[in-house]
Amino acid sequence: MGTLMIQVRSGTMMNMDTNVAVKLAAAAMDKGHAVRIFGYGEGVMLVKDGQDPRRFPNVGAAVSELVARGAEVTVCTTCTTARGIERGEEIEGTTIGSITNDLSRFISESDRMVTLAR
Amino acid sequence: MPSKLFILLKSPQEYRSLDVIAALGGEDRIGVLLFQDAVLFPLQEGMRDELLKVADEVYVMSDDLEARGFKGRSGPGFREIDYPEAVDLIMDEYDLTITV
Repeated sequence: MGTLMIQVRSGTMMNMDTNVAVKLAAAAMDKGHAVRIFGYGEGVMLVKDGQDPRRFPNVGAAVSELVARGAEVTVCTTCTTARGIERGEEIEGTTIGSITNDLSRFISESDRMVTLAR
Repeated sequence: MPSKLFILLKSPQEYRSLDVIAALGGEDRIGVLLFQDAVLFPLQEGMRDELLKVADEVYVMSDDLEARGFKGRSGPGFREIDYPEAVDLIMDEYDLTITV
């Protein structure tokens, strides 16, 4: 089995990119692959806790499940700060990290990478 | 033979630069995987035929077709797949995945 890295640059509500990301991640983990997700730009919304999109799919809940199954989900600290997301507001088990350290590590340690961006 | 899997997310109205896929694909085996509004490509004659010319294989996410009321209607030349199959394409069947 391998390691799949998913890079997300879209927000959680304007289109279905983050839904694709969490579904792809879950399917990959079902097959025994390890999964890493890195969000930046609007993609940092992936890890915001307390998401309540009402009748729309709840990406935050899906992220929590993925993390509980062992996925690594990290977002860029510059982008969270720019959007007023403070440390401690991320979903438990996810990380506010950095492009320099985490994204580069994820890319170097993964077998395949998928980008979801517009 | 090296292979590249191109992911499309936008509809044929929004994304018309299929020549980029041909240019980036070069002589490699080219697969195209259609998510979200890109699943409308098979339903638009002109862009459908152009896409079939560029790609060796074209895969369509059945979830997204069904969500848009086009279940099972992608037609010849298009293979409807689910998420586990998409994972296999990405992890095993193609060397590289590029989102355009």
